[in-house]
Amino acid sequence: MSATTEAAPAHAPKASALRESAWYPYILIAPSMITLVVVSLVPFIYAIYLSFHQAKFGRVRDFIWFDNYATLLSDERFWNSIGVAATFVFIAVPIEFMLGLVGALVLNQNVRGRSVLVPLLFMPTMMAPIVVGLLWKIMLAGSWGFFSYNVLERFNILTDTSIFASPDLALYALIFVDIWQWTPFMMLAFFAGLQALPLGPYRAAAVDGANPLQIFFHITLPMMTPLLAVIGLLRFIDAFKVFDTIYILTNGGPGTTTETPSILANKMTFEFWNIGEASALAVLVWIAFFAFCTIFYQVAKKRLNAF
Amino acid sequence: MAEAVSRPEGSRGLFWTSIVVVYAAIVLFPIFWMATMMVKPNDAMFARPTQWLFVPTLDHFSYVIEQGFHWSLLTSFVLCSISTLLVVIIGTPAAYAFARFEMKGKDDLFLFILGSRMAPPVCLVIPFYLIYSKVGLLDSFLGLTLAYMTFNLSFYVWVLRSFCRDLPVELEEAAALEGWSKVQVFRRVVFPLLRNGIVATSVLCFIFAWNEFLFAFMLGGNSVTTLPVSIPKLITSQGVRWGEMAVVGMTALVPVLIVVFILQRHIVRGLTLGAVKG
Repeated sequence: MSATTEAAPAHAPKASALRESAWYPYILIAPSMITLVVVSLVPFIYAIYLSFHQAKFGRVRDFIWFDNYATLLSDERFWNSIGVAATFVFIAVPIEFMLGLVGALVLNQNVRGRSVLVPLLFMPTMMAPIVVGLLWKIMLAGSWGFFSYNVLERFNILTDTSIFASPDLALYALIFVDIWQWTPFMMLAFFAGLQALPLGPYRAAAVDGANPLQIFFHITLPMMTPLLAVIGLLRFIDAFKVFDTIYILTNGGPGTTTETPSILANKMTFEFWNIGEASALAVLVWIAFFAFCTIFYQVAKKRLNAF
Repeated sequence: MAEAVSRPEGSRGLFWTSIVVVYAAIVLFPIFWMATMMVKPNDAMFARPTQWLFVPTLDHFSYVIEQGFHWSLLTSFVLCSISTLLVVIIGTPAAYAFARFEMKGKDDLFLFILGSRMAPPVCLVIPFYLIYSKVGLLDSFLGLTLAYMTFNLSFYVWVLRSFCRDLPVELEEAAALEGWSKVQVFRRVVFPLLRNGIVATSVLCFIFAWNEFLFAFMLGGNSVTTLPVSIPKLITSQGVRWGEMAVVGMTALVPVLIVVFILQRHIVRGLTLGAVKG
């Protein structure tokens, strides 16, 4: 994606003037690395420590090996949360992806006033997730919510109750909110990608008399693939950890129908005070994320030439 | 720039523009609706069918001020400014180093940074809470500033590095040949060229901190209450204060709105971690 301008070739004598001392870059990165070790590695190690102990109500007691993990892995509620998160992500992200791509292609037409429209379209993505939650709490409130009254009741989908109280529909309402918030992000990222494509192949296609569909499938799509993959993966990672909107809209309810691992871990910690098991859950999620990030980084770097 | 080849006539441009405008109107309607609720009297709010016209009231605003929510606003502002400033000071040299120099284990370090950015906040908040309760950092500015580093410092280093890589290395080499010290090269050559990137990236950090809820909710408290945290506080035992929530929510939205309009070109790049040069 970007032309790498990292270190100049070794034979260039000028470059050595910049690079002569081997310790210079390490001094530059040291403050960041120390800070990140303190704020992210230390908590992670502490979470591992806690996950091996019996810890309830803030008191850390005996070392119990993998008991917390065993309890967690045999807990139906844990597997339910994984299922909920998987449903959420695998419905929301592909829809956002498709709508975003269509939106980007539309935006890439001869649309005027983009300098006003683009920032407006970005609003949902940049809003605080807690405000997004509040917004949809208002729109979908039982009986008086604008959307509940004027759409859901009118089409007899739900009457007089909040959609977030319905065990069958609550998760889909959350998916809808996520799509509302993140489709603009996909759309504008893809649009930026379209704008950066080289013109040459399009001129050639115009000379050959290719139709718009051929142009899309044979030129636009192949050139966009790395970008589409990176953005899609990024959104997948981010969608798995959604917390704020779910917390304010349903907090996992009704029952456990919208309880993702994030919500469950939070409840285990701050409602049940079962810190050992919550830490075990956090560690598992953390490891899964890190594994995913590693693969993501390798793929993005080597195959897709991004970053 | 594919449009340049197949640029349609003006009427088609109008067609596409109207599609986007209609789409934007639908998508943004809930925000507009929340804005009207700031001045909507309670009885009009809960009316069925939906009431479009009403006599505006300032009751919600006065309640919000009575409850001292302007202090949350100030807290949010101070906290986000401090934490962003720290991120810029600590992160800028690192971003530059990652863009310019070869280092042993660079890929691993980089993965560590990416991992910090990607870690689910809820995983971090558990150990943070326990550590903070031991060392007395709960409900403190320092505690939240540190916690915000987990996502913002890693984000900043990652994105600013992509800005650094766009700078031509020749200028720095020329300056180094002139006999300038490394610090001089950085201060007089790199920093001025990088200023736009630093502003764009750090303002995004500010917004992320501004929007942050979980850390502020769990690690903050009565003395450090940010704006997002004061929203759920309006769900009281006497019922939900919708109008007041709308006021706080819209207040939280204003800085974001301003930033998005000013920085629209850089936001895509930031949010995609530099994968798109917007």
